[in-house]
Amino acid sequence: MAVDARDANGEQKILRVWTQTFASPLQTASSKASGATVGFFEQIWNFRSTAAENEQLKERLSKAEAEVHAARQAEAENERLKALLNLNEQIDIKSVPARVIARDPSVWFNTITINRGTTSGITQNMPVVTGGGIVGRVITVSPWASQVMLITDEKAGAGAVVGQLGQSGALGSVRGRADLGVGIIEMRYVSGLETVEAGDNVMTTGQDGIYPPGLNIGKVVDVKKGSATQAHQILIQPGAQLDHLEDVAVLLYRPPQRSTPQQPLQNAERTR
Amino acid sequence: MSQLKIAAVLLISIVLQLSLREVWRPLAYIDFPLIVVVYIALQREAWQALVVGTLAGLIVDARSGGLIGAGGFSKTLTAYIIFFAATKVNLENPLLRIPVLAAATVLDSAIYVFWHRLLGYPPGVPFVQTISYKLIATTVVGTLVLYMLDAVMSGESAQRRQFATRRRVARRSTGPLRRR
Repeated sequence: MAVDARDANGEQKILRVWTQTFASPLQTASSKASGATVGFFEQIWNFRSTAAENEQLKERLSKAEAEVHAARQAEAENERLKALLNLNEQIDIKSVPARVIARDPSVWFNTITINRGTTSGITQNMPVVTGGGIVGRVITVSPWASQVMLITDEKAGAGAVVGQLGQSGALGSVRGRADLGVGIIEMRYVSGLETVEAGDNVMTTGQDGIYPPGLNIGKVVDVKKGSATQAHQILIQPGAQLDHLEDVAVLLYRPPQRSTPQQPLQNAERTR
Repeated sequence: MSQLKIAAVLLISIVLQLSLREVWRPLAYIDFPLIVVVYIALQREAWQALVVGTLAGLIVDARSGGLIGAGGFSKTLTAYIIFFAATKVNLENPLLRIPVLAAATVLDSAIYVFWHRLLGYPPGVPFVQTISYKLIATTVVGTLVLYMLDAVMSGESAQRRQFATRRRVARRSTGPLRRR
């Protein structure tokens, strides 16, 4: 001790070196062990607070998930409403926005119920559309609700043309077919001489007296080619998402009255 | 069976029928009003079964795109046929209810579609596929619902089952005596 104190140069002592050499592994081990022990007790100590924190985080996560879901729904609704607004601007016909409140409970028919009726100016046979295309027509009206027959119903129908109205001669009519299911409709009476390809757009012609001309119906998905004497068999996927309808618009459209001739036509009376 | 209970159960079944399709489309294949009609018909309550069948059918008809009255007719006829069968054959056994429910579903759908086709109003969905889905859904769910209805309207139905068992036992025990 005295020798060590008197050493002014501060040289390292062999005793210290050796002690340090042998003691350091033990110290390391003991340090690790004590660290682990302290950590273990700390973990136990923190366990209760961790569980509470976990609950809080779970709650926050579920809230965040709900918010994300609501935001997605709002976004989808926004898109649908934008599409309806665009449609309004394009076709320049007054319309009433409506929400789908029910679907046919019997599963045998393709009808929906919307939350607008006669109080909103809706009458029978008015066309119902979405931004994607036509949905169907109003078949029953009550003061605050209306029943709509979807275009996929066998009893529904619409005058249609493949391609642009006025540029294409592929005229026919679309209607639902029970064996095709909800997602597909059939177009009939299109001359076999007309060129129709899968992917072509189908529009309304306005000749049915229900739908205004130029509305989108859907896209051709399959064509069974006809001939000079046989019409094409065309399958169409409706542009409107008929399985997931939520927001629609009822067009307050009255088809133009066809003028009746003042005098009967010459061949109106059968002569023998 | 309390008429109030029947009215409440009928109301719930109609509300379920009208609203469950919004939740998930395949749930519409479960015909809740028909299950209630079958249950009441199995209790051999003729008038109640007929009235419930008519009411349930008419209300669902009014909300659907089909002909008003077709569902009412099909459910009333189904109720009567089940009631008639229940008076002739003992259908109190829970296992026997399964084929009864299945038969009722097929009969009800067949009559409904028959009327629509007859009057030039064909349904908008494939017949065989739809009737198959309805058969499976209504039979599976209906079997469970009938158990629940048993619990709700337990009093008289349990008593009736007990009497039916006693009658069977009595017949068995008196059989040899008669022969002598």
